[in-house]
Amino acid sequence: MSTPAEQFSEREFVICQIARLVEDQYIYWVGGGGEPLNSVLLAKRMTAPNLQYLTEDGVIGPEALVPFDPLMTMISSRANYRALQWGTMNYAADLAHLGYVDYGILNTLQVDRFGNVNSTVVGKYAGGEGRRFGGPGGADSIAALAWRTILITDQQKRKFVDRVDFISSPGFLDGPGARERHGLPPNTGPWRVYTPWARFGYDKNCQLTLEAIAPYVSVDQVLGEMSFKPVLAATVEVMEAPTDEELLILRTEIDVGGQVTDRGRWVELKDGKYQFAQQ
Amino acid sequence: MRVIEEGKAEFLKVDPDGYRGYVRDNKPHQMVSKLMSHKDAVERFIRDGDYLAYDCNYFQRGPSSLIREIIRQNRKNLWLCGKFTYVACALLVEGGCADRIDIGFIGFGPWISRAVREGKCKIYEYSNALMTLRLKAGAMGLPFLPARSFGGTDGFERSACKLVEDPYTKQPVLLVPALNPDAAIIHVHQADEFGNARVFGTGITHQECALASKRVIVSAEEIVSTDEFRRDPARTSIPHFAVDAVVHAPFGAFPGTVQGYYASDPQGVVEAMGALYRGDFREYLKKHVYSVASHEEYLDKVVGAAKMIEMRRRETIREGYVS
Repeated sequence: MSTPAEQFSEREFVICQIARLVEDQYIYWVGGGGEPLNSVLLAKRMTAPNLQYLTEDGVIGPEALVPFDPLMTMISSRANYRALQWGTMNYAADLAHLGYVDYGILNTLQVDRFGNVNSTVVGKYAGGEGRRFGGPGGADSIAALAWRTILITDQQKRKFVDRVDFISSPGFLDGPGARERHGLPPNTGPWRVYTPWARFGYDKNCQLTLEAIAPYVSVDQVLGEMSFKPVLAATVEVMEAPTDEELLILRTEIDVGGQVTDRGRWVELKDGKYQFAQQ
Repeated sequence: MRVIEEGKAEFLKVDPDGYRGYVRDNKPHQMVSKLMSHKDAVERFIRDGDYLAYDCNYFQRGPSSLIREIIRQNRKNLWLCGKFTYVACALLVEGGCADRIDIGFIGFGPWISRAVREGKCKIYEYSNALMTLRLKAGAMGLPFLPARSFGGTDGFERSACKLVEDPYTKQPVLLVPALNPDAAIIHVHQADEFGNARVFGTGITHQECALASKRVIVSAEEIVSTDEFRRDPARTSIPHFAVDAVVHAPFGAFPGTVQGYYASDPQGVVEAMGALYRGDFREYLKKHVYSVASHEEYLDKVVGAAKMIEMRRRETIREGYVS
């Protein structure tokens, strides 16, 4: 069962990668549904049955019954099933202020080299000219207050930019020390950025660093889908493919209807190499 | 206290002394029956130009029936507390009721974006948790509260937050201004005729919202006796004296869910989201607001018994929600 799968989607790849990081001894604040929630639910079924997560409505450690009805990722009986505690939004923010939230996991619209997140406007803010999105929602609290934040974005030039059009939620802002100068707690900030093609970390100057690539792309392909050049780690690793077991659980217990994973490109093992399937 | 940096947005005046005086003079300190219809409650307690807060949203234990009634009564120039919301703000803006929004998270879509571009709707930037913190400050009778988020963002200068030097630690800390809305609408599982109210399950900010707001309408799935509250006082979420009107609203959150009572109606959710993304709520408003005169008629003619039975049937989880 734990053999590498021969076929999977690049969305499934991201979820499986993040799920492998998730551990029992930490508390996670999961932004909304989608990839962040699915990663945590997969980890709970694979390696971390006792991990606790919370969402913005102040639910603590639920055993969610997936799938949910459309948009019912919070304040619904299935999302909040068998929790340890039910709270409210201010309570969730209090816990994050206190330092209980070890990791935040966030899906992002646009992210930059310092891990700043834009979920407000693509293009110009002034005059309402740009394309407007919902606002930071709960992401600002997560990005400011979790000890470490894991960001997820698409590997596309327009989404992975040198400087986001609007900082909705803080990464390292403009470099070392900036978070503290703006009243955010010390020793916090973005920790990893995942795309369907790559994993990034940060060096001591808060610069985005390419650490690993998916087995179906090259470093040049990754760099070709970024608006700026990241720092390259001394050795860029190749991440391992999802296993059959992970995919079975993901497809039959978590994302049954393909709400989250039925997007992005399909990958297959051909002649001993992972590559994008011809579509 | 040294102010390091401050946002430049317009904000609802902060006046804790004024609010104390309002509470003394206008809040119903005595237990009196406040049961009334949607129509009467909105007529009496929601006024043109009000700052309006609603708890949760149109899809999740929100006061959807009261939102529809406000649009039906054609309130004007409301200023909305837009946190944790998909379509409620867009409905109220497109319904011609609102022209200012403090934003934590709202569903935009082309229509509301156009209203912003044309200057018909002003927006101010916060986050969900900052808006609930503003309500918490308002509910504590304080002028502001500190938070350790939002500093350094581009939303900051478009908010009324301030970054100050904390007089105790000497470190920078963000302050949010207290929010005491003119009016609030909150949907709950159970209320008595006096306004004591219970929410079961998680929530956004129902208690703070009720205590911080001048005029409060609670809509309830069930009206229960006061004895119910006395049997289990720890489960009272909102005390009667914060509440001005109690409206019996079964399926008041339609098309949304009320945890433990009924599931959402996915078709109704998708219909509203579709209108949001198309940027045109005219058909939606015609069918769901203007075609009927009351919530009762709405349930009867637009929603229908079969759908309500189906929503109850699909909500299989009861643990934690039954009193």
